[in-house]
Amino acid sequence: MSEEYKIIVKDVYKTFNVYLDKANTIKEKLLFLFSRNKKEKREVLKGINLKIKKGEVVALIGTNGSGKSTLLKLMTKIIYPNKGEIITNGKLTSLLELGAGFHPDFSGRENIYFNASIFGLTKKEIDKRIDQIIEFSELGQYIDNPVRTYSSGMYMRLAFSVAINVDADILLIDEILSVGDEHFQNKCYNKMRDLKDQGKTMVFVTHSMQAVKQLCDRAVWLCDGKIKMDGSTEDVVDEYIKETK
Amino acid sequence: MINVFKNLYNYRELLKTNVKKEIRGKYKNSFLGVLWSFLNPLLQILVYAIVFQMILKNPQENYAIFICCGLIPWTFFSSAISRSAFTMVENGNLLKKVYFPREILPISIVTSEAVNFLISTIIIIAFVIFGGLGLSKYIVFYPLVLLAQYLLLIAISLIVSSISVYVRDLQHLIGVALQLLFYATPIVYAADAIPADFQWILKLNPMTYIIEAYRDMFYTQTTVDVSALLILIAISLVGCVIGYMIFNKLQKGFAEQL
Repeated sequence: MSEEYKIIVKDVYKTFNVYLDKANTIKEKLLFLFSRNKKEKREVLKGINLKIKKGEVVALIGTNGSGKSTLLKLMTKIIYPNKGEIITNGKLTSLLELGAGFHPDFSGRENIYFNASIFGLTKKEIDKRIDQIIEFSELGQYIDNPVRTYSSGMYMRLAFSVAINVDADILLIDEILSVGDEHFQNKCYNKMRDLKDQGKTMVFVTHSMQAVKQLCDRAVWLCDGKIKMDGSTEDVVDEYIKETK
Repeated sequence: MINVFKNLYNYRELLKTNVKKEIRGKYKNSFLGVLWSFLNPLLQILVYAIVFQMILKNPQENYAIFICCGLIPWTFFSSAISRSAFTMVENGNLLKKVYFPREILPISIVTSEAVNFLISTIIIIAFVIFGGLGLSKYIVFYPLVLLAQYLLLIAISLIVSSISVYVRDLQHLIGVALQLLFYATPIVYAADAIPADFQWILKLNPMTYIIEAYRDMFYTQTTVDVSALLILIAISLVGCVIGYMIFNKLQKGFAEQL
């Protein structure tokens, strides 16, 4: 496999079983054997092929339910495809949901340690970055308050500051940037541009076409679990806006 | 296989913080805090001593020491298993949102219980010293027995934690199974008190060898059955591999099941 590609998605299919009535216990499972098991299959991704090169910044766009977040989750290895294969090359960090893995009773500082260790950093590495992370988050004196006292903007700033400072080769971001104020958003975009210049690979899901145009050099349009269009940002975004208007 | 260890090594900080969290969290909100690590087994020993020595007139000499050598390793065993049945569901939120090697969770449960056990060993040592028996030189085998028990628990917890995501009944079944196993292990009685017809049950039970070994070094103060322990370690290692294979297969569906 060539080093050139950071993410390779090969003919990936993903189906979710949606249980209308979920059988969790043995008794229920046995009962469900005899009665009709209320289960629906929902095909979310139908044959996705995608190759992302080192240093590329790719936006996944599409309407709600088109499979963007699922694709991102597959890349993170939180879920696995039913068919096909996903290969990622290098250290990967994902920011799928605000403050996943934050412990509400711990202080912001403690949560930085906990969160960064989830991303696979050692204590020494975190020690080296902690000032940088706190500074980026602009939380100042609040950093030693318990996270449960934070506003959603502060929460997001902390989460984003950790994720963006762990030095991952690949960064996957689900639309969360919308929470921050304009000042912080711009700061994030600047930071992401820096990372891009350092040759990091990024994939992000967003509905903000402005952000896509600002940051990405490539956009992938997902529609009903298939790739409808894949190309330069301008072309794809223009076509997308035309279609969805 | 090498990748598995490399991955775990990369995430050692997470393992460390998780173990700390487990230990700290266990007695959080309780008035006496970590003291419960001592009080809990002490009170249990007291209960068994009253029931079996004073009421049922168990003939064993130094019964309190006898029972403490069995009960404390057993607590390590049973709480590690019952807690690993819950760990995935408890951490469901995390599993659904972030990637990290999932095996970290059962491993940190077993490790935190092992640390607890190490602390509780002070009780055994205190009992032995103040009970007049004194420490024997055979205590050098302690790390070997601990290793055997640790590996055995890793194997079991990998299997238990992953299956309980799919079959939640396991959480309740395990409670009953552990209670049954408690009486199938020579904890409150001596192994030779069991009629010959039933000896095979003890022979099949891995915890028998572990508790016997602790008893050999602390209570009867004789050498431990090293070959039995080495066989147990070998079996546990095979169990760890099988357990990991099962775990690895099942973990792919965790995020969807939880």
